[in-house]
Order: sequence, then C-alpha cells, then structure tokens
Amino acid sequence: MSSIGFLKIAYILAWVVYVGYLGRILLRMKKVEEEMKELERGK
Amino acid sequence: MKKLAIISVPLVLLLLVVSSYLALAVAPTEATMGDVQRIFYYHVSSGWVGMFCFFINFVASIWYLWKRSPASDALAVASAEVGVVFCAVLLILGTLWARPVWGIWWTWDARLTTTLVLWLIYVSYLVLRRFSAGGQTQVLAAAFAVFGFADVPIVYMSIRWFRTQHPSPVIGGGEGSGMAPGIAHVFLATLAIFTVLGILYIWLRYKLETAEQALESAHAQAALKGVSQ
Repeated sequence: MSSIGFLKIAYILAWVVYVGYLGRILLRMKKVEEEMKELERGK
Repeated sequence: MKKLAIISVPLVLLLLVVSSYLALAVAPTEATMGDVQRIFYYHVSSGWVGMFCFFINFVASIWYLWKRSPASDALAVASAEVGVVFCAVLLILGTLWARPVWGIWWTWDARLTTTLVLWLIYVSYLVLRRFSAGGQTQVLAAAFAVFGFADVPIVYMSIRWFRTQHPSPVIGGGEGSGMAPGIAHVFLATLAIFTVLGILYIWLRYKLETAEQALESAHAQAALKGVSQ
C-alpha cells in the first residue's frame, strides 16, 4: 500500500472511532432516559 | 438527550472537519516523510488529550478518596473512558504511521511499550469498575487510578531517558528539536481543537455517568419500597 493509503486509513479510522464513540454515548443516554421514564411510570 | 445531541453532533463534526482540513490541506508537506507525516497531527493531538484525561482521572480519584463525592467518582470514570478512546487512536495511528516510515507495524521500544501499558492500565480500571461487585468498587478504582497515573510521566520521559525507535521530542527536546513554522501553527491549532473535543467528550460522558448513577439509586429506592410494602 502507498503511504497515501496509510494516511487515508488513519484519518478514516480516527473519524470512525470519534464519531462512533459519540454515537455510543448518546445511545446510552437515550436508554437511561427511557429506563428512568419507565421507572417513574411504574411508581 | 435531544438537546445534547443537537449541540454535540454538529460540534464534534465541525471540530473533526476543521482539524482534518488543517492537517490534510493547510499544513505543508514534510520534506523527509512526505504526506504520510500528516498522521502526526491526529496522532500527537490524540495522545495529548489521552494524557490530559488521565490527569483529570488522577485528580478526581484523589478528590474521591478524600471527600467520597459521587460527582468526582463520575468525573473519574468519564475521563478514564475518554482517555482510553483517545489513547487507542494514538496507538492505532502510531502503527499506521510506523509501517510506511519504519517498515514495521510495531516495536517493543520504551515509548511504544509504556504507552501500551498505560492504555492497558486504564482498560483494567474500566473493567474493574464494571465487573467488581460490592460497595468498595469506587474506592478500589480510585486507589488503582492514583497508582496507574505513575505511568504517564514515564511515557512522557521515555524518549528522553532511552534511545528509542520512536523519534526524539520535537517540543522541549533541547537543541536541534522543533518544527517548521507552517507545521507548528497547524499542530498548535489541531492541539487546541482536540482539547475542546476531549473536554466535550468528558462533559458528555460525565452527564451519562451521573444519569446512570441517578437511575441506579432510583432502582434501589424502588426495590426498597417494594420490600417494605
């Protein structure tokens, strides 16, 4: 692979990790909020 | 959650687009390595944010051991997890840079090995928190984090103490170290952007941790209510 190929893969991987991590945090947040609402409804 | 997503998603994308543009289009091509040297901007900035997160984890852990404050415990977990993510990117980008420049993916030199150990220490910290049962988890994790942080200065000093395959420091490396002005300007801008990115992730992860703590205590209260009725 050419050095440009390594450069492209590096930036794509970094983007995937950072955007993916943000998505994971937001999804977990959504799940916690839904669970909290369910708990309050059950009271 | 919607509010957080509306703020954080465009902000993260903007920070990534601007930093990528600076690194890939604005920064001059380095004379020896060529375009692949542009990995440097994300590699070092990710490393800086990782170390910054571990420092926050260290301070928050000491504060937790002293005051037993749930907020400092939440900050400690948040910063450790964000630090692990940034440190993982540091290691991945390091191998992708090493292959075309050194001809190898990895070597067990002092800088690479101490960084891998650092990453493993904080992965262990997160595993300890997730799987250990009992009321002493937070105290154990905080004590573990305080000792774990000892590896951060070792990582920083490794390229000063030992002759390594990893390049010598370009900042604060004494005579002969330094960067060309064009590279230095983009590097400082990327570093600043990544610092904002790191703080944003810590804040989001902290919000999540406090929400999870609140949910856990609501579950405990509901269970107690159920037992007493």
